[in-house]
Amino acid sequence: MKKHHYNPDSCTTCTACVVHCPVTQAVREFRGPKLAGPAGERFRLSEDDYDAALEYCSNCKNCDISCPSRVPISTLNMKAKAKYYKTHKQSLRDWILSHGEQMAKMASMTPGLANMGMNNFLSRAIMKRVGISDKAPLPAYASEPFIKQFKKIKQQSFANKVVFYPGCFISFNQPEVGLDVVAVLQANQFEVIVPEEAVCCGSPLVVNGFMDEAEANARKNVAILKKYVELGYSVITACTSCGLMLKQEYQELFEINEQERVAARIYDISEFLLELYDEGRLNTNFVKQAGRYLYHAPCHLRVQGIGRPGLELVKMLPGIEVTDADAGCCGISGNYGFKDDKYDIAMSVGSNLFETIKASGVTSVLSECGTCRLQIAHGAKVKTAHPITIVRKAYGI
Amino acid sequence: MRTSDVIVIGGGLAGLTAAIVAAGRGKEVTLMTSGAGTLAIGGGTIDMLGYLEDNTTVYSPRDGLGRLAEDHPYSKVGSQVMEDAVQFFLTMCKEEGFAYTGSMDSTQWLPTAVGTLKPSCLVPLTMDISLLKAANHVVVAGFSRLKDYFPELVIKGLSKLPGYQKEYEKVVIETGFTGGRDVTTLDIARWLDTAAGQQACYEQLGKHIKPGSVVIIPPVLGSRPNYDVRNKLEQALSCKFVETVIMPTAITGLRLRAMLLNRAKKLGVKIMEQAHAAWAVKDGSRVMSVVTSNIDRERAYSTQAVILATGGFFGGGIVADPDTVHEAVLQLPVEAPTDREEWGTLKLFSGAAQPFAKIGIKVDSSLRPVDAQGKVLLENVYIAGRNLAGYDYCLEKSGNGVALVTGYKAGLTC
Repeated sequence: MKKHHYNPDSCTTCTACVVHCPVTQAVREFRGPKLAGPAGERFRLSEDDYDAALEYCSNCKNCDISCPSRVPISTLNMKAKAKYYKTHKQSLRDWILSHGEQMAKMASMTPGLANMGMNNFLSRAIMKRVGISDKAPLPAYASEPFIKQFKKIKQQSFANKVVFYPGCFISFNQPEVGLDVVAVLQANQFEVIVPEEAVCCGSPLVVNGFMDEAEANARKNVAILKKYVELGYSVITACTSCGLMLKQEYQELFEINEQERVAARIYDISEFLLELYDEGRLNTNFVKQAGRYLYHAPCHLRVQGIGRPGLELVKMLPGIEVTDADAGCCGISGNYGFKDDKYDIAMSVGSNLFETIKASGVTSVLSECGTCRLQIAHGAKVKTAHPITIVRKAYGI
Repeated sequence: MRTSDVIVIGGGLAGLTAAIVAAGRGKEVTLMTSGAGTLAIGGGTIDMLGYLEDNTTVYSPRDGLGRLAEDHPYSKVGSQVMEDAVQFFLTMCKEEGFAYTGSMDSTQWLPTAVGTLKPSCLVPLTMDISLLKAANHVVVAGFSRLKDYFPELVIKGLSKLPGYQKEYEKVVIETGFTGGRDVTTLDIARWLDTAAGQQACYEQLGKHIKPGSVVIIPPVLGSRPNYDVRNKLEQALSCKFVETVIMPTAITGLRLRAMLLNRAKKLGVKIMEQAHAAWAVKDGSRVMSVVTSNIDRERAYSTQAVILATGGFFGGGIVADPDTVHEAVLQLPVEAPTDREEWGTLKLFSGAAQPFAKIGIKVDSSLRPVDAQGKVLLENVYIAGRNLAGYDYCLEKSGNGVALVTGYKAGLTC
């Protein structure tokens, strides 16, 4: 297996990354991925040099997608950020945005109160004071976290078992997506295991420089998932950023014993189902349903090199009309677009996608990423859904 | 089980052309790409043949063909395929609202950022030089803070050339950009996509334009594959624009790539980004599936045929290690002088061919890979673009031409 390499000299300074960087397009203050990443790295190797422009990088990975020399440019940026924040303190805002899991665990004790508290004029004003945009599409908390709802499901028992890693967004904000995953897997004769002790994948920690905490989470998750992988189980994600973290970014960022064994068994839910289809094992008893959708491929899916399995799967469903929006990054990039000083950049980045959606006339957009869905609903004023929700509907369950 | 009629490996001009042609024939096409490639940053002109190996100038690409060696890719596919490929390309561009001009009849000499002329063949309408030749008054426009672009250099160079003794006027357009980074043509093209940018350009150029003026400008007339920006400015200013050939990042290539991607998607080509093709599962002399190797695991994709368009040494399709030279995905043989000293000539700027530039995969007339004896090695594999042996695109100015023609042929044959 080819590993990514960290030698910034693999960069030939061709500028393909600059051309395709959505943040570079949106703001002139950002020097672009080439200079912030591999070129900056040369200086950082020789002296402690922090380029404030690094704060503009959203880790959306369009630089990695466009790089012909396979330089993990965004990861170089994240590592440089982490080095800086080893000796500097992050803002309260960045702490809050990076610790969604802790925040959510507290909030989920009293979700009604938390939602009320989050979405009133006063608390949005307070959030703005710490640097969270009062216009940003912050997600609401679910009335009951996924794990509690999952435990209430009476699953049919099957010999085939898979592990489902829900991640924070499904766990605390949209558990219904996780329930759809479980239902679809059950319809395909898989029993689903959800390891309750698994923690946040660490993606929101990495982007704000909390690298030690991200590594602690990575070690914990790898240790937990490894036990299941050793039993021969695959690990399924339904959030493309969690999936990318578990299969790729852990390997780029950390040295964890045998993590590549876990990485090799991480599946996007749609990719997993399509593999079943290739083996002739996918339950294809789909009922016809009416629906016209646009599909938005999250950048964190595009960089995985597995195409657009969610789109492919939905295209198989009878009665469904779905078109690839193919209009670039939505701008949100995890918690980037929630930041007060980044909100306008994120909206500018997403503007092409929003315009494409509006021009299409569709009222519902499909995407695997939870925060992409928030941003699309916010920017294009449409409904959104995870592709797996449409698949579940096709099973009529 | 999902399968493709053809998997195209490589998303450059050769790969995209092959994918579009095959999909146009009703084939199920999967296009695997690794990075955005040089098409996105390159010049976007289709240079067919500007010079022969002995450095003689080619004034008509069609006439030049007869003087090429028989192992040149053009000779392999033949002149009829070339004519068809050119026609195919021109028709496609027109249908996509981004027409190109030119033909195999005559070489087009395009003004460059350093005031020289570069031979090409099929060019976007923004590079049509016929009006420039006829013009007396030429405004040479630059932009404040634009890196590596000096209107005075363009004027100095051009005015020395026969037929270019004209009344030149230099104009530097102020963009008003703030922010710390260098200004690139892409920044300006995106600015000119906006009404504000167009207005500023109109106001600053207006007072220099006379009836019949032609404006020479870097490639900045919009970032998208259409002529909206050019048309608006030409109409408002009653003049004609000619974009110059510049170093990367040249917006002309970005526009061409965007047009080709649009076309491919319309035809149902399945594009897989970052799918790093690593090796193939073979059964005898047939490839059964292409295996990608990403950081997590390998994945096999079943197919009836493969078009290999992964590039040469620069693109990574051909790899030279200290002891070996090989093709990276299908492990096809690559013939090269054993003595590395013979790979290059030390006279860098003599206009002589560089032997290493011709190193590549040998093929039959269907572009299938062959061994030293001419025996077909893989029946369902076709090679397109810089993977091919037998031409020095840098010297000949034939890079995009070979990519187009062989991509077309491969897409037609697979």
